Amino acid sequence: MDTPHPGPDLHPHCTIVPPYLLVRLAKLDDPRFAQAAAAARESLLRDSQIRQLRGGEHPFTYSGARTLPARTPGESDRTISDAGGQERLPGRRVRAEGQPAGSDPAVNEAYDSLGATQALFWTQFGRDSIDGLGLPMDATVHYGKQYDNAFWDGERMVFGDGDGQVFNRFTISPSVIGHELTHGVTQFTANLQYEGQSGALNESISDVFGALVEQHTRGQSSAEASWLIGDGLFTDQVEGVALRSMKAPGTAYNDDVLGKDPQPGSMADYIETDDDNGGVHLNSGIPNRAFYLVADALGGNAWERPGRIWYNTLTGTGLGRESDFAAFAAATAATAAQLHGIGGAAHNAVLQAWVTVGVMTGRE
Amino acid sequence: MKVIVSRSGGMAGIRLTWEVRVEEQPDPATWADFLNSLPWDDVTDSEAAPDRFAYRIRCAPHEVVLGETQVNGPWRDLVNRVRAANGM
Repeated sequence: MDTPHPGPDLHPHCTIVPPYLLVRLAKLDDPRFAQAAAAARESLLRDSQIRQLRGGEHPFTYSGARTLPARTPGESDRTISDAGGQERLPGRRVRAEGQPAGSDPAVNEAYDSLGATQALFWTQFGRDSIDGLGLPMDATVHYGKQYDNAFWDGERMVFGDGDGQVFNRFTISPSVIGHELTHGVTQFTANLQYEGQSGALNESISDVFGALVEQHTRGQSSAEASWLIGDGLFTDQVEGVALRSMKAPGTAYNDDVLGKDPQPGSMADYIETDDDNGGVHLNSGIPNRAFYLVADALGGNAWERPGRIWYNTLTGTGLGRESDFAAFAAATAATAAQLHGIGGAAHNAVLQAWVTVGVMTGRE
Repeated sequence: MKVIVSRSGGMAGIRLTWEVRVEEQPDPATWADFLNSLPWDDVTDSEAAPDRFAYRIRCAPHEVVLGETQVNGPWRDLVNRVRAANGM
């Protein structure tokens, strides 16, 4: 069993800043941030050379990360805004960090689940917020009219109220909120291209950590967890339990209006399509199931060994923007071997999971 | 003439399709004029964004794929009209 890794991540390779944030840092005209601004300017100057070396695939490491203003690492900094049914962001600020709960369940749910996500990433992986640098967590609720969606727009989480017929409000499920925040983490790390297999990995990683947020908050072991994404999101009128099942992809719903859950659970059923950016929400069922199989094989809490293997893979140097399933499988196996030894239980569980879902052949 | 709007993606990843047969509408001439006025040839590729909807709109001989943030102005009007004709 691994010892969890509480506290701040002291490895600078995990503090990766995208160019737009570097530009913002570089423009800071405040003496308190002088060192950070200088480091950002220096990094921007190096940008083209580094991108050439990396084939333009990865944002680069920002070595001046720890010069940002004093703040207690790991503390949440949440702000919830209310779009009031409009499609304009950010909306009216309705709750800031430390303010008490109000009467709006969407606001309270968003606030609580942002905190739960921060708690998972900080206490288990030592990651301070989305960017690893304590980026404030901003969310907007009541976006649009009967809006059937939630998304990460590159800066904030946005949640619709659902139509009330098929979907409830999207804040109702902690796994959905964890999913959206993890898109932010991916953006700041491997930055997987949102199309085809790399896009399906981007989606799967959000499902994995969305599920872990829920399990960690509820104190559920792998065996106790539902492994559902979006539990509670469907209204009672829908024949289904959730949006997706990581344990059994393709079984989450079977409804007259929505049809049957189309997710495949192995490469034998891989879906080729031009829709959904090449089926990113469909083929994500394959790596989702691989993660479940690893967690099931190892037992205990999935955020420990399995979560750490996936997290280190996401934030390490083994992935490129266009990594496919095979590359991700090899990277997770290498991470498992590095953390727990070649031929150990974790390494074998990872290899076997990828063989079971048809990504590896067993001869690797 | 048939108009087909398919919406895929979104956090749920559920594909929904709405279809309208123009000649069966109470105002087919208005529909035809509207469809002919759409900027079919001006659509540019949009960058995929996590969990946003993608719309594929077909009306022979035209077919366009729009990111959610591109569904504005006449395109939004079209999507709303097609959904309304399907009772949505």
